[in-house]
Amino acid sequence: MAEIVSANDKNFDSFMNGVKTLIVDFWAPTCTSCMLMEPGLEKIAASYPEKVNVVKVNVNENPLTSSRFFVRSLPTLLFIKNGLVKSQLVGAVNPSQIEKILIEVQ
Amino acid sequence: METNWDIVIVGGGPAGLAAAIYCGRALRKTLVLEKQVFGGQIINADIIENYPGFAEPIVPADLMEQMSKQAQRYGVELENDEVTQIRPENHSWRLDVYDRFFTAKAVVFAAGSVHRFFNVKGEKELLGRGVSICATCDAPFFKDRKVAVLGGGDAAMAEALHLAKFASEVYVIHRRDELRAEKILQDRVFKNPKIKLLWDREILSFQGEQKLEAIELKNKKTAVVESLPFSGAFLAIGTIPNTGLIKDYVDLDDNGYVVTDISLSTKAQGLFVAGEVIKGNRRQVSISVGMGVQAALNCEEYLVSLE
Repeated sequence: MAEIVSANDKNFDSFMNGVKTLIVDFWAPTCTSCMLMEPGLEKIAASYPEKVNVVKVNVNENPLTSSRFFVRSLPTLLFIKNGLVKSQLVGAVNPSQIEKILIEVQ
Repeated sequence: METNWDIVIVGGGPAGLAAAIYCGRALRKTLVLEKQVFGGQIINADIIENYPGFAEPIVPADLMEQMSKQAQRYGVELENDEVTQIRPENHSWRLDVYDRFFTAKAVVFAAGSVHRFFNVKGEKELLGRGVSICATCDAPFFKDRKVAVLGGGDAAMAEALHLAKFASEVYVIHRRDELRAEKILQDRVFKNPKIKLLWDREILSFQGEQKLEAIELKNKKTAVVESLPFSGAFLAIGTIPNTGLIKDYVDLDDNGYVVTDISLSTKAQGLFVAGEVIKGNRRQVSISVGMGVQAALNCEEYLVSLE
């Protein structure tokens, strides 16, 4: 089962160019919606281990990564493929909505 | 997961969860479907100060978590999925979700509402990049920056007060020359040295390339157009009811709200409504909770009549 990994300003680039679609979950401990979305993201990571890597970025601790992608709202999910941002979801979403974007960016 | 239910509740906010508690206690097999996160929009608020029974301010997420647990205690199932279609079928209701369907003898529709947008240039492109619909979620991004709150109601005042803890300056920009927010909130806003008000302004566009840089405004009294620099713009101009799924089975007003009475029933048998989908709802958690209870009790009476 694939797990959600925490990424930070120092190691973020190491996740960028993988073969799988990278979902980046920008979150903060003060964001209730972010917390409530976590089980859904875990479900996605577990359902598509061959296709998807899911990483979390705590925006409070990693301002460089947040700024790099101009993230100013939480929760924000970025969908990155071959090093390029292919799609973005802002606000609370459910696993079905994430799956729809995954199909689009494959 | 079970397909056939006594009651399916659409929406897991205050109205839906309150209904769920009562349906569960009536020993009805009850499913709540929520497309985003359980608790509804109120979980994004900073605090609640006016929910009866709590002398001290409460954290909305805590209150809603308790409501979810209370419903589950009485056997209600909570499922995170989006209903894509609702229709009557064989004297019951069929509810389609992404990749399956459910049936129910009765439906309580409490799908709430979505944020209203200005639908002007730059708004959609800069959403999440300076344009925001949640101050509690996003305020830390705007530490020591200049931000605007657009709106004049309770939500706008609450957002302005929260943002003032982080931002260097907060401008409340309103289309009228008076606020409609609770007087106690207005008073706090007027007394906060970081908050300024701009009256009679129409929003023309949001400007910026990768992130918000300015808001273009028109003074409705002088017709002067100006572009003012802001790092953040928080939208609090009300909501649009989520009634598209049931529009064929209910009476809607011109703004899409369900027109009903205290029965909270509709012209379709076995379809009840609650919460912010109803015309005249004043968008308070306590009102939505009461409506959820009322809808559940009337729903129970309907189910008994079928037996």
